[in-house]
Amino acid sequence: MAPVEIRGLSKRFGSVLAVDDLTFDIAAGRVTGFLGPNGAGKSTTLRALLGLVRPTAGTATFEGSRYDQLERPATKVGAVLEDASFHPGRTGRNHLRVLAVTGRHPPERIDAVLEAVGLTPAADRRVKGYSMGMRQRLAIASALLGDPEVLILDEPTNGLDPPGIAWMRGMVREQATRGRAVLVSSHLLAEVAQSVDDVVVIAKGKMRGHGTLEQVLGGDEGPSTEVRSQDDDRLARVLQAAGHAVTRLPAGGLLVLGVSPREVGEIAHDGGVYLVKLSQRSRSLEQAFFALTGGEQAE
Amino acid sequence: MSALLQAELLKLRTTRTFAALVAAALVLSLLVVVLVANLGGDFTADEVRDLFTADFTGLFIILLGVIGMAGEWRHRTITSTVLAAPDRIRLLGAKMLAYAAAGALLSLIVTLSIMLVGSIILSARDEETAAVADLVDVLWRNLLVAALVGALGVGIGAVVRNQVAAIVGVLFVAFVLEPTLLGLLPDYGRFGPTQGAPGGIIGAAGFEEEDADELLAPGVATLVMLGWIGALFAAGAARLRGSDLV
Repeated sequence: MAPVEIRGLSKRFGSVLAVDDLTFDIAAGRVTGFLGPNGAGKSTTLRALLGLVRPTAGTATFEGSRYDQLERPATKVGAVLEDASFHPGRTGRNHLRVLAVTGRHPPERIDAVLEAVGLTPAADRRVKGYSMGMRQRLAIASALLGDPEVLILDEPTNGLDPPGIAWMRGMVREQATRGRAVLVSSHLLAEVAQSVDDVVVIAKGKMRGHGTLEQVLGGDEGPSTEVRSQDDDRLARVLQAAGHAVTRLPAGGLLVLGVSPREVGEIAHDGGVYLVKLSQRSRSLEQAFFALTGGEQAE
Repeated sequence: MSALLQAELLKLRTTRTFAALVAAALVLSLLVVVLVANLGGDFTADEVRDLFTADFTGLFIILLGVIGMAGEWRHRTITSTVLAAPDRIRLLGAKMLAYAAAGALLSLIVTLSIMLVGSIILSARDEETAAVADLVDVLWRNLLVAALVGALGVGIGAVVRNQVAAIVGVLFVAFVLEPTLLGLLPDYGRFGPTQGAPGGIIGAAGFEEEDADELLAPGVATLVMLGWIGALFAAGAARLRGSDLV
């Protein structure tokens, strides 16, 4: 059973379908990037996972248990949400003390996590005097307080300066090295590309790709093929039957990752599908990301 | 529940709001007692007893309760609070208990202070002082009212999440609506949660003699307060449970 399992998750707010039938797992000891443009449904998915919003359909569980069913949730899951807020009049240390009492964590964990995030010198200052970076470090310290098995970070680099971003990347990698499952959401691929092992890409609430970074986004060296046919549905079935991952492009046609145009042509021929376009895509990670998510730079 | 209760009490102690409200309640209550004890004369035993009900804790603790709950939305700390304690019903229950305890503690400090200062002034002026039994009677009534309105404030904050609207609403009910009802329709006004029922628990203090006859008996008034708190808990819990924290 995976540390995090999301199955058929959907969330509707009135007439807006924010998350549409998402299914994926997060593995232990790996960093998974949860990518998509702003408004893609990333935060809603994470909040559904954490029991903050009620799914319209589907489940989001930690080794089979919903967040609200966990005995001591902070020992299982640590989360930093995008709008991490603190009482401005409370010191950083007192914020952690409240969480430690709630979660029944030993008091010595407070100093340990303050040290881990480099916030010890400012621990006894009121949060209203903290910079954005210090608040983000306090949020991380809060998430680490229970020494959790799963770490969920929603846009953790927002508002951080370059040294802060570098620190965050190092921290994320270190947590995975310790065996934790880490899920990092971002709308900026470049910020997470260096530190993730796997990616889940969504746009408009729908799954666009899931796998290793190379599998999903290809990259400069990896072969990938854009193909159009007279019957894309049939072509998709033929390619999937041959064991290849197929992604539908927003502008029409299919993107076949990890496969050369020649192979795609042969499979289409064998399947009796007439092609109208067949080309190798040479693109950067960002271009691939935009193509998957329907961004402005999509080809 | 014990951990949640401890955490809520710790939250109270670790901001300046609580200390400021304790100080304000103490200063205001002492001011009234010092002025009345110095300027009044020929006190009867009942008047001395009533003097020591000048505990303004109720007003402050109800506001503290409102701020404690509605402030979770104002400061957007509700998300981290619910993440730490996903059972929202227990969370609300713990908050109500914590503010009830805080109210009782605040009232204990204020009531003992005004009793001490008032008794010293009255003794120095060779005025009547209250018997110990009367002081104990006033003390438990003040404590009970403060505890109940503390929980009431949390319930109001759970239902009306806009902190400013909740505070303005409480002040309007306490200083305009309920006094008007007590004056015009006492049969209804005595069931009010900020003046009527608390007045019934405390007794005749603060009311004209003819109004005092209209008050509920302390036991009934306590049940009425518990009814208000229960209703607000149910409404607040339903709202909290059904809310998406986005």
